[in-house]
Amino acid sequence: MNTREAKKILLLYRGPIDDSDPQFRAALDYAKSDRELGEWLREQSECYGTIRAKLRAIEPPPDLSEKIVRGRPIPFLRDWSRIGQLAAAIVISVSVTALLMKWSERRNGAIGGGQEIVVTGEVLDMTCYIASNLSGPDHAKCARICIRSGEPAGIKAQDGKVYLLTGEPGQSINAKLADYAAQVVTIKGKKSVRDGFAQLQVEEIRKL
Amino acid sequence: MSADLEFENLVRLYYRDLYRFGLSLTGNENDAADLTQETFYIWANKGYQLQKAASVKGWLFTTLHREFLKTCRRRNRFANESVNECTEDLPNVPPDCAERADSQTLLRILGEIAEDFRAPLVLYYMEDLSYKEIAEVLALPLGTVQSRIARAKIQLLRRLSEINLPVEQSK
Repeated sequence: MNTREAKKILLLYRGPIDDSDPQFRAALDYAKSDRELGEWLREQSECYGTIRAKLRAIEPPPDLSEKIVRGRPIPFLRDWSRIGQLAAAIVISVSVTALLMKWSERRNGAIGGGQEIVVTGEVLDMTCYIASNLSGPDHAKCARICIRSGEPAGIKAQDGKVYLLTGEPGQSINAKLADYAAQVVTIKGKKSVRDGFAQLQVEEIRKL
Repeated sequence: MSADLEFENLVRLYYRDLYRFGLSLTGNENDAADLTQETFYIWANKGYQLQKAASVKGWLFTTLHREFLKTCRRRNRFANESVNECTEDLPNVPPDCAERADSQTLLRILGEIAEDFRAPLVLYYMEDLSYKEIAEVLALPLGTVQSRIARAKIQLLRRLSEINLPVEQSK
């Protein structure tokens, strides 16, 4: 190594921060034995220190840090492990709720329900219809008496499906239905299924 | 420590150095403040990606530099001159040349140096980062960083010695 080579290396030397950097070791050792190089290194170090101090003397605007802290955006932390946990919790919660609802419905004997439909068909006296397959105008008088006396009433839709007709919970609809026994009417109501048996909670009756 | 407090501490710890780096790069106080602010906001949104707390400082400097480069591309307004390839000779500069320059003069001269050379030179003088860290911040090979620092430093010292600097009244 000569003085010129050592100078090229030591041009980058900053002081203690670079002492552990092996690239400077040999050049620093060389500078110890070369008086002129040692003096040059001392002047370089002073000059470096002065420039550094002047750069570090630059102060930011006094309110900058507060401005940064105040204006901090609300971070959207995409922590996928936490998002996964949250998703799993939601899935479990929904599944448990669905199972509980299903269990509750089964316990009450009802599956589905509440769907509002309109059915057009003949009003039946269910006792005679189920037991003896009696319906139509020929059976109208009997049907009217049976329904009025509290026997279950139903409606046979045009597609052949039969619904048991009910009133509001705890209220009988038979007095109203008796007048329409064996007649074709349109009934609007809420459909539900109980133990496989379709029923219609009557809301409105219209005679065709 | 809450996220708010952590953010506040981080700002208090590094905003000065980042501002100085930004000011040295842009030569404009408003641009430097904007860059500093933007850097911390990026950290607030993406800082969780950092695996090691020790790498926060390097990450902040890297981000500020990237944002500066983006700004340069958008505005194309930070004009500067490239460092002459033939400036390898070591200058004979008066030892007190730096003392006679105030911070503003220093910033002005730094602003005249090409950005590719200015950024490593400023990080070199700020003495916050090792050469390896400077290379990581600027995404450059270590040898390139050292070469650029050496050439830019020679140009800076030459400029400082050439300029007819007024003696600071306070001295």
